[in-house]
Amino acid sequence: MIDFTLIFRILVFPGFTFILLLTLFCDWIERKIEARIQNRVGPMVAGPAGILQPLADFIKLLTKEDITPRDAKKTIFKFAPLVAFTIMVFAFCFLPIDGTSVFSTSGFSGDLIVILAFATVANFLLFLAGWASCNPYGTIGSARVLTQFLGYDIPLFLIALTPAFIAGSVQIASIASLQAGTFLPFIVLAPWAFVLFVITMQAELEKDPFDVPHSESELVGGLETEFTGAKLAFLHLTRDVQVVFGSALVVELFLGGPYGPVFFGPSWIWYTLWFVLKVIAVVLISEYITTVVARFRIDQVLSGNWRILLPAALLSLMLTVALVTWVYPLVM
Amino acid sequence: MSNNKTDILNVVATKFGTKVQIQLGHLSTGTIIANNGLHRDVLKTMIDADEKTGITAITGLDLGANLGVYYHIRATNAFVTIKAEVPKENPKIQTIVDIHPGSLFHELEVADLLGVIFEGNPTSGHFVLSENWPEGIYPLRKDVKANQVKLVPTPASEKIKLPENERLVKIIIGPQHPALLEPEKFAVTVDGEIVTKVEPRIGYVHRGIEKATESRTYLQDVYLVERICGICNSIHACAFVEAVEKVGKIEIPPRAKYLRVIALELNRLHSHLLTLGHAGLEIGYETLFQYFWRDREPIMDLIELTSGNRVYSSLMTVGGVRRDIKESDIPTIKSVLEDLRGKLPFYRQIYENEPTLKLRMKNVGVLKREDALKLSVVGPVARGSGVDIDVRKDEPYEAYGEIPFKEIVYTEGDTWARMNVRMDEVEESINIIKYAIDHMPTGPFRIDVARSVPAGEAVNRVEAPRGELFYYVRSNGTDIPDRVKVRTPTFANIPSFLKTAIGESIADVPANFVSLDPCFSCTDR
Amino acid sequence: MVKKSRISPIFKRAVSHIFTKPATTKYPFVKPILPEDARCKTVYEIKSCNVIDIGTGLKDGPTVDVRSIVGSNCRVCVRDCPAAAIEIVEVEGKKRPQIRFDKCIFCHQCVESCPRGAITSSIFYELATTDKCGLIQKPNPNTKETKS
Repeated sequence: MIDFTLIFRILVFPGFTFILLLTLFCDWIERKIEARIQNRVGPMVAGPAGILQPLADFIKLLTKEDITPRDAKKTIFKFAPLVAFTIMVFAFCFLPIDGTSVFSTSGFSGDLIVILAFATVANFLLFLAGWASCNPYGTIGSARVLTQFLGYDIPLFLIALTPAFIAGSVQIASIASLQAGTFLPFIVLAPWAFVLFVITMQAELEKDPFDVPHSESELVGGLETEFTGAKLAFLHLTRDVQVVFGSALVVELFLGGPYGPVFFGPSWIWYTLWFVLKVIAVVLISEYITTVVARFRIDQVLSGNWRILLPAALLSLMLTVALVTWVYPLVM
Repeated sequence: MSNNKTDILNVVATKFGTKVQIQLGHLSTGTIIANNGLHRDVLKTMIDADEKTGITAITGLDLGANLGVYYHIRATNAFVTIKAEVPKENPKIQTIVDIHPGSLFHELEVADLLGVIFEGNPTSGHFVLSENWPEGIYPLRKDVKANQVKLVPTPASEKIKLPENERLVKIIIGPQHPALLEPEKFAVTVDGEIVTKVEPRIGYVHRGIEKATESRTYLQDVYLVERICGICNSIHACAFVEAVEKVGKIEIPPRAKYLRVIALELNRLHSHLLTLGHAGLEIGYETLFQYFWRDREPIMDLIELTSGNRVYSSLMTVGGVRRDIKESDIPTIKSVLEDLRGKLPFYRQIYENEPTLKLRMKNVGVLKREDALKLSVVGPVARGSGVDIDVRKDEPYEAYGEIPFKEIVYTEGDTWARMNVRMDEVEESINIIKYAIDHMPTGPFRIDVARSVPAGEAVNRVEAPRGELFYYVRSNGTDIPDRVKVRTPTFANIPSFLKTAIGESIADVPANFVSLDPCFSCTDR
Repeated sequence: MVKKSRISPIFKRAVSHIFTKPATTKYPFVKPILPEDARCKTVYEIKSCNVIDIGTGLKDGPTVDVRSIVGSNCRVCVRDCPAAAIEIVEVEGKKRPQIRFDKCIFCHQCVESCPRGAITSSIFYELATTDKCGLIQKPNPNTKETKS
């Protein structure tokens, strides 16, 4: 028996097509905001106000020549960008977007850990892609990617557990709906965790000030040096999906997910709308931080992680646990 | 320390007596003719007498039967030339690299272009010319016609000499690299992340402009020389026409001097804003880059207003300037400059308070004062390390003697200090331009001069945005020059990078390098 | 003097910039206004405004009518041009200068050197074309020559 509803949900809404369109839209917002902060105009010509520019860039890259170097490890080189993109989209499917996730369920206990693991695997595949290209710049760039995201994964997991402690469950749907039920998003209950999570997310997504793996002035192209054509298109798309995924995770964990006031009509429209608005807000915050600071050196990135962020994550977890156990039951 | 201009010549005269000939007043302060290896001892005496002695340039020229090697030395208050000659059949002369390490690049260039052999200089191989230039043909000699030289096939690429220690890795930055605006190659040896050695190879943009000046008239050469560099073009043209005016003993009207000052300072403004923005780009601070270049646009419009073109202002000519400032333009100029001055406190606060910028720029690329003196660095690199040399104050030219301004010196010696020097110089330039406009004398702005220049030679120094720019012009009585020698400030500053990069992380190399404000079109000519 | 550590001003300025007008000139929809003596394309110009253009297809492009008779024999423009962009060609039995704009560096030394003032400046700068031959400004053979 073919379940057309499920196929529709996976392929069109809120599945693959919706995620793709949201990614391209957030890419456009990023570029416009960065341009406006820098007092210039940004994309203007492709479509009204340049909204089709990310799509145009993607299509342009698809039409370019696709070169595989002779010494590269061919299988990994050819398939890593595509597999990384697939895994990111798959991880996205577990988040409740219009009230329930793509599979029309409310997930399972522990799916927070699972999707964070998926994100790590996707990052690891990107590292492998750069490593397989056998170019000195690619090798150094991918080694930096590995060091950075493996290092920052640890505080990321720890801080992601903070809302889990407050909600008492490791299931994203219950974390999100608990915030809706009590009308108290966790950003109010644990603001320090929100700030730390946003900073760690910047490092995971390799945006300024943690932009080292992409730093052109030192490494030419980083791990993307040898990629051309369709493979480069998918690498860029993977990176954009990671940005939206990170923002969506922040929204689910701290801002109440897609839940919000429903005024009239079917609830799933309103949930989708709230979800999109909250994701855009987080993307704006992230892009603002990217634009106003310079880039750290690699040793400053690493020492910042192990000396500052990891102890801060541990402290934040301990503080939250103490508050949840003793203070909040008295107040709420 | 000499206070009087000729003190240093008196010291030399006392020590060497009749073994050298001294011509007072020729080529700036004076000329010392010292053959047979005496130039080494003369230079050593001068260095011992005055700590700020530095070598500005070494000119090599073809004098017919001999090759001339002229050492141009600057001291605290004087500018002296030591002339030596070697025969063409046996062009050997002793090196001065051990006395003064900053002369390495100059000697290598003369050896490459003229065939002079410097005994005791350990480096070999082509320095400015490319690998496929045939051996034994020296382009600056008079009998060589550049377009009739047959290039040889490039030698089978010698393997890159790997360092002996297995742990060390050699990373090649360049020739094409996003950190560099123009192509040059630096082979950086790293141990883990720390740099241990830097080997440069310049000459990728060598166009042979010095040879090209010898086949064009003086009038055409003004435009050719202007195109040595796109950023400091006015200054090259000004230095050249001043040198020609010194040879021909031409006195230009006072109004022309003030107009030249305005053009030079506008050029300095736009060059410093360019560097400040480019530094932001290198450390990943794109927003700062966009802001600085947005503020640079009105200055480019001002340059277009005063000279007709945004980049190549072509205002200088032998005998004055080519056009005048209109009275109706003066309010526009003043208001644009005041706008720029109003924006500077914002940038100063960023440099003081922005944590990520300070993390990238403070204590990076530190150049100590004694190294700066030994390597003869010039410009903001020297002034950021506590050495106060500025040609506008040491040997005033044009109208700088009459205009009051401050010389900016910082003592920290790191990248942050050099950038601050440039930012403060932006404010000083604004003051200079406003003073010049307010006190401009009336009168003609140009006099007619003959096309041919009487025989003679002259040197000239000006302060380009990157440092001291030096020209030597020699004329043989026709309207085509005999020899034009250019020494650009980046050529003198690159050896300091070879020193400051050692011991620091390789991730600091781009930020360190851009603080020198490198301009390779100038370096290679 | 100890400076109080203040917050870098860029945080506030970045937000306020989102709402200010961008500093970009939206060329080619908006064209900049150049000063009248900007050094753009040189022209031989006559007072009457009948125009014949040579490759851009625009009505108010450069004019190509030669004004004076004697400008051809002194050859000062040829001698002084730093880029050797001017050469003398034969047109209807008379020798006239021909300017090649693919070699010209727009220094306007020819404008200064010509003793008859036969070459003047204009502010036409949109010279880009796909055909290099369009950049050679030939003296027009079909014009009456006027006494200077």
